Amino acid sequence: MPKRKSLIKIKPRKYRVGDIVKVDFIVIHPMETGMRKDKKTGKVKPMHYINEVKFYFNDELFTTVIPWETVSTNPYFSINMKVTGPGVLKVVYKDNLGEVHEKSKKVKPKG
Amino acid sequence: MRRRAFLKGIGAIGAVALLDIKVLAKDTKPKGKNAITFKKALEVITNGKGAKTSDKVKLIVPEIAENGAVVPVKVNVEEPIENVKSIHILATKNSNARCADVFLTPRNGRAYFATRIKLGQSQDVVAVAVLKDGSAIMASRPVKVTIGGCG
Repeated sequence: MPKRKSLIKIKPRKYRVGDIVKVDFIVIHPMETGMRKDKKTGKVKPMHYINEVKFYFNDELFTTVIPWETVSTNPYFSINMKVTGPGVLKVVYKDNLGEVHEKSKKVKPKG
Repeated sequence: MRRRAFLKGIGAIGAVALLDIKVLAKDTKPKGKNAITFKKALEVITNGKGAKTSDKVKLIVPEIAENGAVVPVKVNVEEPIENVKSIHILATKNSNARCADVFLTPRNGRAYFATRIKLGQSQDVVAVAVLKDGSAIMASRPVKVTIGGCG
């Protein structure tokens, strides 16, 4: 399983309990459509795309995103989340070749 | 200054396209494993009921996308979050019309989703929001693509 870089950003950076924050999630992933040809070999590159992204807060699933191969290379997903207290935001994503990765970030509301 | 004139021309075409928004574009022949036409995708999402065009769905896309491989799409649904079950982003002329499906829960606070999609050619981008009672509302906007992003 190749290592993939991913990133979770919470905007704005300072937030309080009760605020609705923006959660941005970015992965470095090729997102092949299965229609592109390799310029060197002339063969069609096989389909390779993320087909499930799940957002958890304190192990409670709150959002599921089902992307298709029509999502751009290095996909970016942005959703909103209501802050109810401190905890851990975890994102688990899978692709069609069976790769499973996860990334987490601490949620620390101030005040 | 040829480039400038060219870009101006495209802008003019985009303005014309904006005037007559056609939601249902003609289906093109689908190819590829996940291929699905826009009509079928909409049927699957709304359970065959179809979707009504509504002002409550705010879809933000660029009028002209220079690069079809990266087209930012933002959707805001002005309904209480408890009412919104899911948001779907569709592209009318892509071989796989579905771009992303998002299933929301009250923890989201607001029905909002943003991502970046690929567009093979100039077409309409459609956002569908499925509400709790099973009905669906949607919004569509045309996007002009100068370089396709799916080929």
